Amino acid sequence: MSTTDTLPRAAKPRPTAQALRRQEALRALPWVTPTLALIVGVVLFPAGLMVYTSFFKYNNKGIRKSDEPVGLDNYIGPAGALTFPGVPIDRILLNTVLWVVVVVLFTVLLSLLIAQFLNKPFRGRKLLRLFIILPWACSVVMTATVFRYGLQENVGLFNRLLVDTGILEQSRAWTKDPTSAFWIAVFVAIYVSLPFTTYTILAGLQAVPTDVLEAAHVDGASVPQRYWHIVLPLLRPAIAVAALINIINVFNSLPILRLLQETPGYHTGHITTTLMYEYQRALGPGVSSALSVLNFLFCLVIIAIYLAVVQPTKEVA
Amino acid sequence: MNKRVLQLGAAALVGAFALSACGGGTPDNGGGGGETPAEPGGLKTSISILAPSYADSSEADWNAIIAEFNKTYPDVEVKLQIEGWDGFSEKVAARIQAGDYPDILNDNAFAASAEAGILYPIDQVVSAETLAAIEPSLLKNGVGVDGTQWAAPDIASARMMAYNTDLFEQAGIAAAPKSWAELEDAAKKLVALGGDVKGYGMPLGKEEAQLESSLWLWGAGGTWVDGESLNANTPAAVEAFAQMQKMHKDGLTQPKLEDNRQDVSNLFQAGQLGMIVGHGQIVADAEAKGINVALAPVPDKDGGAGVTTGVTDFIVAFDNKDEARKEATGAFLDLLYSDAMYEGWYKGTKLLPVTTSMIDKAKAEAATDNDKAFLEALAIVQFLPVSNPQWDALQAALQGSAYQVGTEDPATLLAQIQAQVDAQS
Repeated sequence: MSTTDTLPRAAKPRPTAQALRRQEALRALPWVTPTLALIVGVVLFPAGLMVYTSFFKYNNKGIRKSDEPVGLDNYIGPAGALTFPGVPIDRILLNTVLWVVVVVLFTVLLSLLIAQFLNKPFRGRKLLRLFIILPWACSVVMTATVFRYGLQENVGLFNRLLVDTGILEQSRAWTKDPTSAFWIAVFVAIYVSLPFTTYTILAGLQAVPTDVLEAAHVDGASVPQRYWHIVLPLLRPAIAVAALINIINVFNSLPILRLLQETPGYHTGHITTTLMYEYQRALGPGVSSALSVLNFLFCLVIIAIYLAVVQPTKEVA
Repeated sequence: MNKRVLQLGAAALVGAFALSACGGGTPDNGGGGGETPAEPGGLKTSISILAPSYADSSEADWNAIIAEFNKTYPDVEVKLQIEGWDGFSEKVAARIQAGDYPDILNDNAFAASAEAGILYPIDQVVSAETLAAIEPSLLKNGVGVDGTQWAAPDIASARMMAYNTDLFEQAGIAAAPKSWAELEDAAKKLVALGGDVKGYGMPLGKEEAQLESSLWLWGAGGTWVDGESLNANTPAAVEAFAQMQKMHKDGLTQPKLEDNRQDVSNLFQAGQLGMIVGHGQIVADAEAKGINVALAPVPDKDGGAGVTTGVTDFIVAFDNKDEARKEATGAFLDLLYSDAMYEGWYKGTKLLPVTTSMIDKAKAEAATDNDKAFLEALAIVQFLPVSNPQWDALQAALQGSAYQVGTEDPATLLAQIQAQVDAQS
């Protein structure tokens, strides 16, 4: 970027610089080609195919009904992603926002707490750190399945526990009610997101220089002041990375909701990602792709809002 | 690519030879070999089978037929893919979308593929003798709305109302209910027994909501079929759904209508459920747990002859534009339906046979009255309108929303179900 500023002044070496850069790029080509091929093959091509598919009519077996594109029919037609009768789409969009915001917010807040704690030296710290990592080491599907079985109405262990301790009078079919299943899924999503976030923040905490903290201590800054004005700003890059990756991850997280929602059909506990799979089964790849395109745009919007509001890349003052 | 072209060419050539030599079908009573076309061993190609897993033995059952088939056709490679029923239609859709049509597909639906024109009419693939061996009332189920025999049933199951005779005795119910009023009455008496006993199991989850709601619709004297299309929003359907709602609201069913049949079957096995519409396996499972079970037709509105329904799964053959593969597919299917092979295969599925000879044999061998009742019902069962291209949409809509009958207004719910079907046509 900066070379463009200097170029007009140094008119003579310009062709040489350009030639040099071209040569450099040419030399780098063999090394970047595999990555480029991978990006084109695994990211760009499928994404393009998805957009293309969303403009054709398919049946639910995935057979294309005609070679004529159908315009926006798959988006807002009679059987469109946003307009299919019986789909509480407003509620599902709201759920999607709730899902991302609540899960990411609670994950980051809890992770800040846990990381702070794990950063203190105490006996058995290593062991505890190992335990914290466990939910991450388990497959998400497995974790969700454990919760699903545990909450089963007749034989579930969690239900049994709640009834035996007198918290509940009668066991409940938690996963057969869209709303309760949704909030249980939120809980599980936070649970499985904690390890990664905690470790990212822990790494950030270890990079906070102790001499700065000591200097502040000497200057009479209280504990909350030190945390708020020194530690938190220095953690900004770590939190930014953790939050961004979590947003994308949580937004696309399918298994938790899929496994914990036992209500069939287009109920009020869906998010757009799970609705997409419901569509694929019932309406075929056309409508499903249309929703997927919208989903992608929706995810971009959420990230854009996050970047605009939080400005995580802003330099520490 | 080149290799593929070569293979195709070779296959086509061999196919042409085989075709010109092809006369009669395969023998009816098994064993393969003897009367097959001249030099069948010369057929050189590969075919693929996609089938669901009915039981743990399913793969072995298919492999037994493949082994027998390869004795006659050593150069035909048969690729077998077995998948669980759960998510089976996604597996089928995935192969169709990839353009990798299985030559033989064992599934419970065929209308969408038939409409898309990617199937062979099954009577072009298997021999006339094979089709003639299948019970006519069942074979009819594989006829499309255009009158073409697109699919051949390969396995059947009949559904009847099973009831716990001990609970009936305790509750003082003399005979199986025949009308909706009697059904309600019986269910009330059963619930009055206390001890968490439920009257009637009504599984409206995504597995079989279409079947349970069809039974009530038929009981009300209605049908989904309306000329060439399907209509869910009819007075009879509203009446049926209203009755289902009444049963649920009066506390006569299990608490959660979105349960699948297995959930309800578990209650039945535990002796906590009086009545359930089930197939042979549900009865067998309950009997294995020491429950005394008797069978009756499903009650209808006015106490008529009752309703009995059947489900058949189908064999369909995809058009891969390759005569050699078609030829091999036909030969394989003829072998599958031959008595010697079919007997072991259908017994592995733990369901009911579809060939007349096997139905008769099974009747003769039936150990209990219940086994016999299911077999006898096969000749009189009603089927879901699986041959209608709209059925997929209606089935999906029922699977997704029929359970809401517990809380929603029946007419509104049916209007919404119909709106989902209409939106797709």
